[in-house]
Amino acid sequence: MSWVRSISYSGEDVFDENADDLNLQSREWISNMKKRVKDGYVDGVDAGEEASLQLGFNIGFREGAAQTVPVGRLKGIVSAIWCWWQIHHPETPVPSSVTDLLHQVVQHEDTIMEGIRKSLENPPPSVSDVSESMESLEVDQADPSCRGEGCNNAGCCKRGEQMDLDVPHQPQRLSSGSADCSLNSGESLNVLLQRCMDLVSEFGLPPELISHIQDLKKI
Amino acid sequence: MAGGSGKEDLFDNILMADEKFRGEGFREGYERGTRRGFQNGRRHGASHGAKLSTEVSFYYGFATTWNCLLHNNTDPKSRKRVKALETLLDLIQNCPLDDPQSTKLQDDMEKLRSKFRQICSMLNVPTDFRDYVKTAEGTSF
Repeated sequence: MSWVRSISYSGEDVFDENADDLNLQSREWISNMKKRVKDGYVDGVDAGEEASLQLGFNIGFREGAAQTVPVGRLKGIVSAIWCWWQIHHPETPVPSSVTDLLHQVVQHEDTIMEGIRKSLENPPPSVSDVSESMESLEVDQADPSCRGEGCNNAGCCKRGEQMDLDVPHQPQRLSSGSADCSLNSGESLNVLLQRCMDLVSEFGLPPELISHIQDLKKI
Repeated sequence: MAGGSGKEDLFDNILMADEKFRGEGFREGYERGTRRGFQNGRRHGASHGAKLSTEVSFYYGFATTWNCLLHNNTDPKSRKRVKALETLLDLIQNCPLDDPQSTKLQDDMEKLRSKFRQICSMLNVPTDFRDYVKTAEGTSF
């Protein structure tokens, strides 16, 4: 900011009686420039958001689609077995082993969808959002207990800056969380796949079907 | 005149400062907006992708199973059904599911859905799979 000062004091005829006036002008100048930074920031956020939204959507789309492929296919397989039974044994009700399995596959799918829906409705709070709202409330400037460098006060301006640095780590935390989740749901999916293969053997359905079900483990 | 050029310099400096500060804010905001836009887009994309993939994967599992069940039947009725099932499986394979921006995606989805409905009526089974689940719930509880 040294050059700001140099502009403010560039006039050669600075007399003491004008000092207050200059001080006022320099303050006005600083506040004007702060406003420029803010205006630029707002425009930058909009432009950045617009530029990356579609890319994020495309990547998320593929990620979300990959998550539901095995369970969606299994649901189709069990539904088809259900229909097959109804057609071939019209007088016997569909065995509870089939209906239960179908029910659990649907539940499993709902759990996955619910997880995705939840992260859509309650996005993990971005720390920069918090620090931005603090900024807009002017918490950092209005806090009289802030003593700059040595300030230990929680929620003070320094803390806001440090927290902002954490933001790039957020996606990593996010993905490690969903990896844990897919591990658990992966295990329960394997149980459902096994039950479906047992049904295929039990009903004497074509063995190719077993290999189709087995393939779902590899997705 | 020297004073005049000094004023011009000052004026230039002010304009430059204006741009410099605006640019600084813009760059900072752009970085932030990029992160936010990417995350928002990713979450929305995941929701859409999961929904669409659930539907298509269901058709795929359903058609694959019926294809296995009917494959060894040689009667003309079964042949006709197998042919329709294979058409559906082909449609799924060629559907640009990894490209949400593809204009073909919407058309292909419509074709997929109507093919599935056609197959259901050929097999004489309900089109809405929720009917099965409802029945499943009804019998298990």
